Amino acid sequence: MLLEIINPEETLYSGEVKSIQFPGQEGSFGVLENHAPMIAALQSGEVEFVTSDGKNEKIGVKGGVVEILKNKVLVLAE
Amino acid sequence: MANLKEVRIRIASVNNTKQLTTAMKLVSASKLRRAQNNIVKLRPYAGKLKEIMNRISSSMDDLPEGGVFDVRKPERILCLVYSSNKGLCGGFNSSLGKHLRLHLEKEYPEQLQAGNIDFISIGNKVPVFLKKYGILFSKEYNYLIDKPEYEELEKLATQIIQDYVDKKYDVIYLYYNEFKNAATQRPVHETFLPFEMDEDETNTQADTDYLMEPEEEELFKTLVPKTLKIQMFKALLDSVASEHGARMTAMHKATDNATELLKDLKLSYNKARQAAITNEIIEIVSGAEALKG
Repeated sequence: MLLEIINPEETLYSGEVKSIQFPGQEGSFGVLENHAPMIAALQSGEVEFVTSDGKNEKIGVKGGVVEILKNKVLVLAE
Repeated sequence: MANLKEVRIRIASVNNTKQLTTAMKLVSASKLRRAQNNIVKLRPYAGKLKEIMNRISSSMDDLPEGGVFDVRKPERILCLVYSSNKGLCGGFNSSLGKHLRLHLEKEYPEQLQAGNIDFISIGNKVPVFLKKYGILFSKEYNYLIDKPEYEELEKLATQIIQDYVDKKYDVIYLYYNEFKNAATQRPVHETFLPFEMDEDETNTQADTDYLMEPEEEELFKTLVPKTLKIQMFKALLDSVASEHGARMTAMHKATDNATELLKDLKLSYNKARQAAITNEIIEIVSGAEALKG
């Protein structure tokens, strides 16, 4: 699935990933392929994900919101 | 006929001015490009956030009450004014100042009389302009213009939103120059708080059922401050781009004027030179004639 993390000033990450772990406002949650459509608020923490070539990566966010729709994950970070 | 030396000095000075305005125009052009770039980068973020907001609000029956949604009788008003820190940008600042004055005099004459309107500025030129009309600014955040960064602006935005929630103000306006294109800017005002949803675009495809976490209302409430901050940030970027656009246009006109002026000056310089030469020849010839007797 495609992960895109943007903030008001730039794109922080854009690429294919296998799985993602989010710091949700109501607790951490994971997202895999074919996740149901979802909108969730994030608290400050790290978005961790595994890229399609198996690398673990982390990007820190200070809160934000994530939209998941049809294997496209868009994070509006702050 | 002006004397030769005088004209020569004027030509040199106009030439200097022309060089200066040309350089300023080029600098503004490159700053404008960067500012426009920032606007383009913000656009997908702002667009998506709006879409999400619309989606959530369409699944809610009513807007929540209290806090930023509270609509009160406008007793105390806060105006946030974006201008520039530097001059030489045509009517950029004065037209915004005029717009602000006319708007307040028309809509809120009583509050203006009673001094119940507070002003905060980003950029120091409009405060200077409005001083002579007795409008004084309580706080200035002029450094935001030189380096328009979201993080810095966010602190100010949080403060203002908190002031509204604490009922220090009943309505908050933003005044800025909207960026149309490099040559056109338009002074505008928009309501910052109380929070309003744009009703016209709520018909986004509601066919997908989203899981919401936390629940709609809670989610909506956490997203509203974000939307407001983005609105403030967008106004800042617009204002900065407008400033550079206005300065570029003003400097372009100044360069054109200088070129025109130089043409005239060169003409009168040449005329004066020719006259001087002719005079000398006449003197020599008449001297020779006199000797012949």
